[in-house]
Amino acid sequence: MDNSGKEKEAAALMADAEKKLKSSQSFFGSLFGSSSKLEEACDMYVRAANMYKMAKNWCAAGNAFSKAAHLHLQMQSKHDAATNLIDAGNAFKKADPQEAINCLNRAIEIYTDMGRFTIAAKHHITIAEIYETELVDIDKAIAHYEQAADYYKGEESTSSANKCLLKVATYAAQLEQYQKAIEIYEQVGTYAMDSTLLKYSAKDHFFKAALCHFCVDMLNAKLAVQKYEEMFPAFSDSRECKLLKKLLDAYEEQNVEAYTDSVKEFDTISRLDQWLTTMLLRIKKTIQDDESDLR
Amino acid sequence: MSSDFETYEQDFGTITAEVTNKIGKIPKLSGEEKTQLVLNVDKQLEEVRELLEQMDLEVREIPIQSRAMYTTRLKSYKQEMEKLEKDFKRSRIAYSDEVRNELLGDDAISSEGQRAHLLDNTERLERSSRRLEAGYQIAVETEQVGQEILSNLHTDREKIQKARERLRETDANLGKSSRILTGMLRRIIQNRVLVFVLGAIILLTIILAIYLNLRSH
Repeated sequence: MDNSGKEKEAAALMADAEKKLKSSQSFFGSLFGSSSKLEEACDMYVRAANMYKMAKNWCAAGNAFSKAAHLHLQMQSKHDAATNLIDAGNAFKKADPQEAINCLNRAIEIYTDMGRFTIAAKHHITIAEIYETELVDIDKAIAHYEQAADYYKGEESTSSANKCLLKVATYAAQLEQYQKAIEIYEQVGTYAMDSTLLKYSAKDHFFKAALCHFCVDMLNAKLAVQKYEEMFPAFSDSRECKLLKKLLDAYEEQNVEAYTDSVKEFDTISRLDQWLTTMLLRIKKTIQDDESDLR
Repeated sequence: MSSDFETYEQDFGTITAEVTNKIGKIPKLSGEEKTQLVLNVDKQLEEVRELLEQMDLEVREIPIQSRAMYTTRLKSYKQEMEKLEKDFKRSRIAYSDEVRNELLGDDAISSEGQRAHLLDNTERLERSSRRLEAGYQIAVETEQVGQEILSNLHTDREKIQKARERLRETDANLGKSSRILTGMLRRIIQNRVLVFVLGAIILLTIILAIYLNLRSH
């Protein structure tokens, strides 16, 4: 369409804005109306950035937004600066993830300075998602999710905090940091037990916690299952609990077929997802290792 | 390669013919002969199964282009064999009509029909249990979906509560700021009034001074 036209307009606007900036820094400009010049320049940067967005030139849009944010910082309007940085981050997300993360980090600093922790937490989650998908750096993603959860806890949004913590726990368990995962799952499970809305998900959390216990040590798992049954009677009726008991028995008898059979049976009713399959496979491998050790 | 297959096919044909023959005879016999025949048929069915396995292996070695024909043939042979096995089973449990009629008289209900009825019922039961399982699966899936929705609702609830609190705060702040503004306005008016009053006083003092000066001249 007229995207190229938009790009030219945008480029023209940027040049204009830079001229305004330069003029405002000269002697007379600073005497006479520098602040309004800065504001106008800011405005033009934002318009140029929007036009770049229309033309789908994400890098240039991101740059324009960052320049606008810089100007806002000079004018001491932190809020606007942060908003522009977020826009820059969103634009960069589609082109250059690293730049996006930089912009988002700067925005988060400004927000935490102002004390707006909820928004900062939300953007930590965005950064963590970028690390999850595009840059595949699980450790940093976990760090950001944890930070977000802490901020949410500080702002008493326990539900959002729990969502982040669950993600941390899934990744921690995958990376074999079982202790952390167990703590988180138990915490979330106990919280969920008491809430009318969440109690149907509580059994799921206890199941995952027990699985993590299992990966560490079987006795732990047994004690854990008993503890959860005491805390939460409905847990013992669930199919997950029955599966756990069968798995514990199979493990005690070192019987790989019984293990596989019970897992298969569970799978026919409700398909096992990626995480569960990985964990169950790990436990199965320990059984097989033990068998071959005994031989 | 394929000649092996054909030899197998021929063997298959002959053995199946024999088996069908014997199956036809079984219901009419009894006692020693029957058990003999049953064992015989068993053995032959084993042979047939082995033949089929061999044929399977042969088919796998054939290159893919010409495989299709052989696989279809193999399938039809397998089906034939399954039918033979079913018939064999039926024949073992079926009493010969003649023997039963001798015992119970001519209007005895054919046991074949009863067997068929029972098999039918078993099939129906199996079908219903399969449907129940499917229903259970759907119920479990629904529960999982429900869990997610509930947790989303919980998060949204918290967000809405936060938003409401913030609104109330903003409202209070706006009220405060409007009061401050009215205060400012009032002070401005006060200042202006003061300025006018003072100005008037100064003017008066100047006029008085000039007047007194003129008077004293």
